[in-house]
Amino acid sequence: MTEHYNQKRKRKAEFIKPINTLKAKVGSGGLSEDILNRAQELLENNTVDFQPLAEIYLAALMKGIEQAKEAEAASDKEYTISTMLYPGMQLKANGGMFHYPLVSQMADKLIQFLEVIDEADIEAVEIVLAFHTTIRAVVLGKIKGDGGTHGQNLLKALNDACMRYFEKNKGNIGTVIEE
Amino acid sequence: MAYEFYKVKILIVEDNKPMLELTKSILQTFGVAEVVTAKNGEEGFREYCLHNPDIVIADWMMKPMDGISLTRRMRNDPKSPNQYTPVILMTGFSEKRRVLEARDAGVTEFLVKPFNARDLYRRIAQVIERPRQFVRSEDFFGPDRRRVKKAGQQPYDGPNRRGDDKRIAPEVTEIDFAERGPGETQ
Repeated sequence: MTEHYNQKRKRKAEFIKPINTLKAKVGSGGLSEDILNRAQELLENNTVDFQPLAEIYLAALMKGIEQAKEAEAASDKEYTISTMLYPGMQLKANGGMFHYPLVSQMADKLIQFLEVIDEADIEAVEIVLAFHTTIRAVVLGKIKGDGGTHGQNLLKALNDACMRYFEKNKGNIGTVIEE
Repeated sequence: MAYEFYKVKILIVEDNKPMLELTKSILQTFGVAEVVTAKNGEEGFREYCLHNPDIVIADWMMKPMDGISLTRRMRNDPKSPNQYTPVILMTGFSEKRRVLEARDAGVTEFLVKPFNARDLYRRIAQVIERPRQFVRSEDFFGPDRRRVKKAGQQPYDGPNRRGDDKRIAPEVTEIDFAERGPGETQ
């Protein structure tokens, strides 16, 4: 058999190497450790109050939880999950930037959980609600840093709840999404 | 010798004001003299056309236009002043399928939040020292979704998947960058 069934090739790819004007502008040598340390110090000493931001994302997460509770069987499962996933992602992204790394750690677990379930069933929504309650307690309690032993115990409790869910609901995980 | 960032213009597109201000301050500490800002993809594209920045740093989740749509527009809109501008996408997502989605939209580098100053610097150094070649095909225009050569990797000398693929630019020499590392002199 001849290549491509005697058909003309459909896809052609053209490779282009643009001129590196950026390199020409900045030159070489990178940045000194001193500058990088100063930038890091600036980041670590920012005085942004995370609480009002967190409240916005937590409210959005709660709205997602309520929508998921009311969702009918025929509703778009991916959409329902996304209404909880996106605020979770915002909590993860911003917590650590504004002195609440424990919020980022917890929200990261929440994202991982939502990324692997196929459907937000009642039990899954209860777990998301537990994440919401715990993250809100961390924010209202102004638990900055990793929260010490207590913070790590809370994180472990959330993780264990997810693991128990996975063990019990094997049919609701593991669908491979086409990439 | 150090990077002369005062010659560079960077556009930050971010709807979260504290995050935008923080990123801007870090860039200014790096020495970037001109930082343009916008609060969503739509406004970002307008600023992009107006200022033609050297790098765009965009958040993913924004309304009415997100960072992915902004990137697609930068790559494909005829009004775009430079289709090749590097885009660094900031997001809390780190799952593989999200990275692939961003990559398929034409994003150059992916910066996972929360990040530190060095993470941001590394992504900027990457677009300076290891720029991706671009690919134009029927259904895609954007940075090559594969790195051409990695340190220690032998050049590919096997058959081409598409025999009529053509290269219209000088041979890629990214292996040099990978071996030297970002920021090192030639």
